[in-house]
Amino acid sequence: MSSGEAPEGEGKRELFEGTALPFMRVLYNIALRLTHEPQDAADLVQETFLRAYRTFANFQPGTNCKAWLFTILYSIFVNQYRRAKRQPRMASIEELEERFRHFAQAPGDTASDVTTVEGWGWRWSPEVERALRQLPEDFRSPLLLVDVEGLSYEEAASVLGCAVGTVGSRLFRGRKLLFAMLQEYARQDGYDTGSSMDR
Amino acid sequence: MTDTTNHLGTTLQAFLDGRLAAARRSEVEAHLGKCPQCRRQLEALRWVRDVALKRLPGEDVPPALAGRVAAALDAAQERSRPAASLTRRRRWAKWAGAGALLAAAVLALLLVLLPRTNLPDAVARDFTEYGGGRLALDVRSSDGAAVESLFARGGIGFPTRVFDLGMMQYRLTGGLLHRLRDRPSALFAYRGPAGRDLVCQMYEGWLGDLPRTDDVREHNGIIFQVYRTRGLTLVFWQEGAVVCVLASDAESEAVIQLAYAKAVKV
Repeated sequence: MSSGEAPEGEGKRELFEGTALPFMRVLYNIALRLTHEPQDAADLVQETFLRAYRTFANFQPGTNCKAWLFTILYSIFVNQYRRAKRQPRMASIEELEERFRHFAQAPGDTASDVTTVEGWGWRWSPEVERALRQLPEDFRSPLLLVDVEGLSYEEAASVLGCAVGTVGSRLFRGRKLLFAMLQEYARQDGYDTGSSMDR
Repeated sequence: MTDTTNHLGTTLQAFLDGRLAAARRSEVEAHLGKCPQCRRQLEALRWVRDVALKRLPGEDVPPALAGRVAAALDAAQERSRPAASLTRRRRWAKWAGAGALLAAAVLALLLVLLPRTNLPDAVARDFTEYGGGRLALDVRSSDGAAVESLFARGGIGFPTRVFDLGMMQYRLTGGLLHRLRDRPSALFAYRGPAGRDLVCQMYEGWLGDLPRTDDVREHNGIIFQVYRTRGLTLVFWQEGAVVCVLASDAESEAVIQLAYAKAVKV
């Protein structure tokens, strides 16, 4: 559509419905994890699709439509929702990072071939959802985009409006913080049972 | 001792995510071979990425949201039209709407008269027949290779992938050279937790051949079309020129997650 042949009217609507609307559930889930409120998430998704429709000529066919929609959603979120959101309660970042360092220095080792979804069984985890909600948004967004939604670092950087290196460093800290928060859950789940994970 | 002074720090993550050049990768592997602390960090990061964050529940879109979005798009579409042509367009839309209604009625009639076009119904019926013992497997085996061999020997003219679902507590029971409507289909079945059956079929075709569904999802760049009928969940996706479908009476989201776990982008 960047070729200047943007369809109008019914053609545009049809193309938009076929290209963008299948991502409604994905958008709703990421909106829910950003806003924590179903009503806010639904409003955010509606506004995202409306803005995407108005600027559909900017979307380049063949590129990642999901990433393009995330860019719009995140921009609306930052401007309209983030300022109003309350800070989640969590242990301090320094405390969690210290907990992660302590874990890494503990005796024992982990087998390197067991940490896959299949190797660890497969079930929903409200614990992970709860921990993710407590992560500061700066760390939560890269995790959602890269680890949950499968975007590349470069695509995530474009969505978040930051450097690729920033995505990498926030992802690194976010993963460490999440592990520190989930250490007890991981142990109950069978992770690293042979070694100390005391805090 | 800190992450960055003596150990790999963020390089560990670049290694984990495959973002290192080959030479640096070899150096990291050498370091990991002698540094248990970095190994533990690496495995913790991997656990978060590959296990914890793959266990997030997926929420369904509130039923009203699709309608709200459609209404917002209607309004935007209406606003973007030139005022002079609005009346003409509305008149046209009225006739087009009537025509669409008529076309929909004809299509519905055709669907009733020609049920052969409805693949989800056929897949659901196969599941029921299999569960009722009326659809016998050609080969009963928990060995995926044996079942794939059946398909190759039986003349299935496209590549098949018999999934290993052992880690998800689904055990392969066997395969059948089947026909889904008039198409050759590779059918294989599993027995899962609580005695639930799971039937997979692969056939040459396109997702576009399927009837419309409101439940279309995307995961890792793959589109999934979900149908629910007779207490069953059917999940279709495309792999090259082949359509794969999972059918089960297990919990709906669990069936969808099985499809997410096994679908491959081609």
